[in-house]
Amino acid sequence: MNKLQRKLVRDLAASKGLILAVAVVIFLGVALFGASFMGYQNLKSSYDYSYERLRFADFTVKVGEAPSNAVEELEVIPGVAAVTGRVNTDIALELPGDDGKRVEARVISLPSGERAAVNDVKVEEGSYFQGDDGNVLLVEKSFAKHHELNPGDTVSLTVDDQEISFRIAGIVTSPEYIWAAKSRQEILVSPETFGVVFVSQDTVSELVGKPSINEFCFLIDEGADRDSIIAQVEDELVPYGVMEVVTREEQPSYAALEQDLEGFGAMAAAFPLLFLSVGALATYILLTRIVHSQRAQIGLMRAIGYSRRQVLVHYLSFALVIGIIGALSGAIAGYLLSEVITNFYIGFLGLPFTKIEMQWLAVAEGIFIGILPCIVAGILPAYSASRISPAEAMRTPPPATGRKILLERLFPFLTRLSSLWKIPLRNIFRNRRRSLYTVIGVTFGVSLILVSAGMMDSVEALIDFQFNDIQRYDAQVTFAQPQPIALVDEVNGWDEVEEAQPVLQIPIRLEHGEKTYFTFVMGLSPDSELYGLHSTGGGQVAVSDERILLSEGLRKTLDIDAGDVITLRSSFAFQQVEVAGFVKQPLGSFGYVTVEQAQELAGGQDIISGLMLNVKPEYIDTIREKANQIPATASVELTAETKGEIDEMMDLGMAIMWVMLAFGATLAFAIVFTTVTVNILERRREIATMRTLGEGKIRIAGMITVENLLLGLAGLIPGILLGYGLALYYFRLMQTDMFSFDLVIFPTTYVLTAGVVIFIMLISQLPGIRQVNRLNLAQMTKEQAT
Amino acid sequence: MSKPASGEKDNSLLQLEDVSRSYQMGQVEVKALIRVTLDIVRGEFIVILGPSGSGKTTLLNLIGGIDSPSSGKITVDGIEITALDEKGLTGYRRNHIGFIFQFFNLIPTLTAKENVEFAAELVEKPGDVLEVLELVGLKERANHYPSELSGGEQQRVAIARAMVKDPPILLCDEPTGELDFETGKHILAAMRRINEVNRKTVLLVTHNTAIGDIAHRVIRLRSGEIVEVRQNPSPADPQELRW
Repeated sequence: MNKLQRKLVRDLAASKGLILAVAVVIFLGVALFGASFMGYQNLKSSYDYSYERLRFADFTVKVGEAPSNAVEELEVIPGVAAVTGRVNTDIALELPGDDGKRVEARVISLPSGERAAVNDVKVEEGSYFQGDDGNVLLVEKSFAKHHELNPGDTVSLTVDDQEISFRIAGIVTSPEYIWAAKSRQEILVSPETFGVVFVSQDTVSELVGKPSINEFCFLIDEGADRDSIIAQVEDELVPYGVMEVVTREEQPSYAALEQDLEGFGAMAAAFPLLFLSVGALATYILLTRIVHSQRAQIGLMRAIGYSRRQVLVHYLSFALVIGIIGALSGAIAGYLLSEVITNFYIGFLGLPFTKIEMQWLAVAEGIFIGILPCIVAGILPAYSASRISPAEAMRTPPPATGRKILLERLFPFLTRLSSLWKIPLRNIFRNRRRSLYTVIGVTFGVSLILVSAGMMDSVEALIDFQFNDIQRYDAQVTFAQPQPIALVDEVNGWDEVEEAQPVLQIPIRLEHGEKTYFTFVMGLSPDSELYGLHSTGGGQVAVSDERILLSEGLRKTLDIDAGDVITLRSSFAFQQVEVAGFVKQPLGSFGYVTVEQAQELAGGQDIISGLMLNVKPEYIDTIREKANQIPATASVELTAETKGEIDEMMDLGMAIMWVMLAFGATLAFAIVFTTVTVNILERRREIATMRTLGEGKIRIAGMITVENLLLGLAGLIPGILLGYGLALYYFRLMQTDMFSFDLVIFPTTYVLTAGVVIFIMLISQLPGIRQVNRLNLAQMTKEQAT
Repeated sequence: MSKPASGEKDNSLLQLEDVSRSYQMGQVEVKALIRVTLDIVRGEFIVILGPSGSGKTTLLNLIGGIDSPSSGKITVDGIEITALDEKGLTGYRRNHIGFIFQFFNLIPTLTAKENVEFAAELVEKPGDVLEVLELVGLKERANHYPSELSGGEQQRVAIARAMVKDPPILLCDEPTGELDFETGKHILAAMRRINEVNRKTVLLVTHNTAIGDIAHRVIRLRSGEIVEVRQNPSPADPQELRW
């Protein structure tokens, strides 16, 4: 090690606190990048691998009813690699146990002998169908886990009012239900009320008495034109009544996971950028300070014969070391964190297959993006160091120019302030660039904290809105088959029930011009109090005849506005109605009409598909049992229970938000610590002089605090604005027909964020103040000014 | 004290011809040095005297190649340094000049020995670091950091640092300015020894007129101009100085 390198090592050691603070920012940026990027890659390749292994469909076509041999006509369409025909229907399922708990089961048929060519399942426990083994079924893993179902247990399906017992042969995972969403409208559905089971095609045919199917799943050749294949398929299937085509991208589980992945991707790009730019800023501040304080040393180096290049490389090495420390440790932490995230996800989702590879390229990228900003930030100060004229560097620099600041000229009363206020004010404007960096650091810190806190608030507000303002009922009973509307009066007569209101949910295609959307319309009573409809413009609205209310997400999807006419097409009828307006609907996108109008769409019968109940508090625990006495009951959803389930599902997201919050706070700490400490270091001589003149330690600490608080306050407002803007941008990215939630930031969050940042500022100035208190006054006042 | 062979053309080490240096300070042009012409021979001990602002440090900086004249020519050992580019100047400083400053300018994070090595590493054939430290009487304190040394000791490290490169010229800017009387005299004695024993040409800048007595030649500056050049036929022993 030559002496220049030794000097570097010792200088670094002398400023280790500051060096570490800046390295921490780089560390956070690289760790965040590594965790999100590698997590993204791990999950993406695991998803893709699962899709590939289980031959996940490129698209699926739902029809009314078709003979099972219809598959043969489709297989020969050029570009079609494989087709599977199957039955896909929702049936009430009774779970084992004495309480006769029922849930809505999605029953999907699979080939009896060989495995499905498209949308196969992976048997996790037990076995696949094995020939003549009677009525058996396979249960999707997350549902089985929730209800503690095991191979060998018995459940029963209600077919044509008959309960038929099935033995569970195996527990399986399916590429279509990695995220067990019921539909695009029901992405967050509790396994308490919904589950997926698979039965053999032969069993289904036996049960319904004919070998018919209602869904075709397609895999296409690589490079084939999917749209034209879909068009041909639709033509072939016209006789069977094409109801809906769902592409892979629209498939609920795929779409939900994809959206989540996109979130990861966005995080992998946006947040590390924020950290690394702050890291670059901090490196610049620190290195400028080091160069400034070593002016005389630089002059000496140049005077005794060190070249400009040697000086440049020497000072650039400071930045390089910061970059290397931050980037290497960040890359390791990022890798470990990505493992944690990946394993957590894999455990949470129960992926059929996983594919985790060591991503050396991502690690290298992380190291590169960690070091690069430091080098870039270091070039300017290092270059200026190399250009310092040795003769000048060794002269005592003239004192910094002092004058009245603009504020004082504008507000003369400021000049009459005590020095406790006047000195901090002037200091702020004396080194405007430094003050600006502090403000920028605080701004970024505040915005990161606010984005994370805003996400948490919004999710909380969303759940609150969904379960307190929309779903105002205590329980919802869903029937396997439509029931007569007279049932409403009957249930209203139950002792347990305070109020029962009807709901009729009909699958429907919404058409506006070229745009179509497959969803449900919900028929509600105009005076429905148990299902809240809230206009996007504010205030409550109700359904009315001949008009439809749409979820706000559909405004964009269908390119439609209030007053426009929309076509509603069901299996039985079609109507043209006016769009009355849009309602807030965070989860899914629906249409809302009157029960009567929905009945017309259902073929003109006086039926309902479910009941919303307000239950007397003392009966809340027994209402499920009571409602299950209605033979057609498919499931009874208790709002409180579902809310609990959803809260649990949201925990994952919340954990990530907490991590982000901690990162934001650390960032604020690191930048404030750096600028404050540098500010204090730079003024050591001046402060020592003040102390010599008789200023007390407390007053000096007061001045430092006033200065920092003023800068903190200056950063607070832009930080809040930036944070709000970032959160809004992030939310806009997330808006789809599946999720549409408003950005909500509670007033207390603003106060808390401000409080946290002010607290961080106060804490981070402590080391600097401590140093001031330990100054050797005699030495400092005698030392050559730097 | 042996006298250098002044006037002999081949013994001439340093020539300044009509050298001027002016700075722009805001609206004002400051003329730090005005048409200075000077010839210095090998082995000379020169003291440049003058009040603050007279241009003596500027003169030293120009000779040391850390500043460039506005006009005029400086030749050192046959090299016209005013014609050198940045790289050439760095090489010149590396091989021809040893600087000693008023504020010592030691690297605080390096020990005395390391400070000397810091300079030694710049040249192909440096002197032995410990020998040089012994020469200035600091061998025992070699592993101490600047903060652990007295002012005089720090200045002796600075001299060792200048000496280790074995340059023909030592430029000393107020080397005793920060030292007490006794220590200052020790430092001057060390320089004198280096001039005599090691045959180094020494240019010493000071405002302290008493120090002029130890020089072969005293050059007095005022307002950027040479106002007096005085030969000193019998330079005094530094220990005899009084101020």
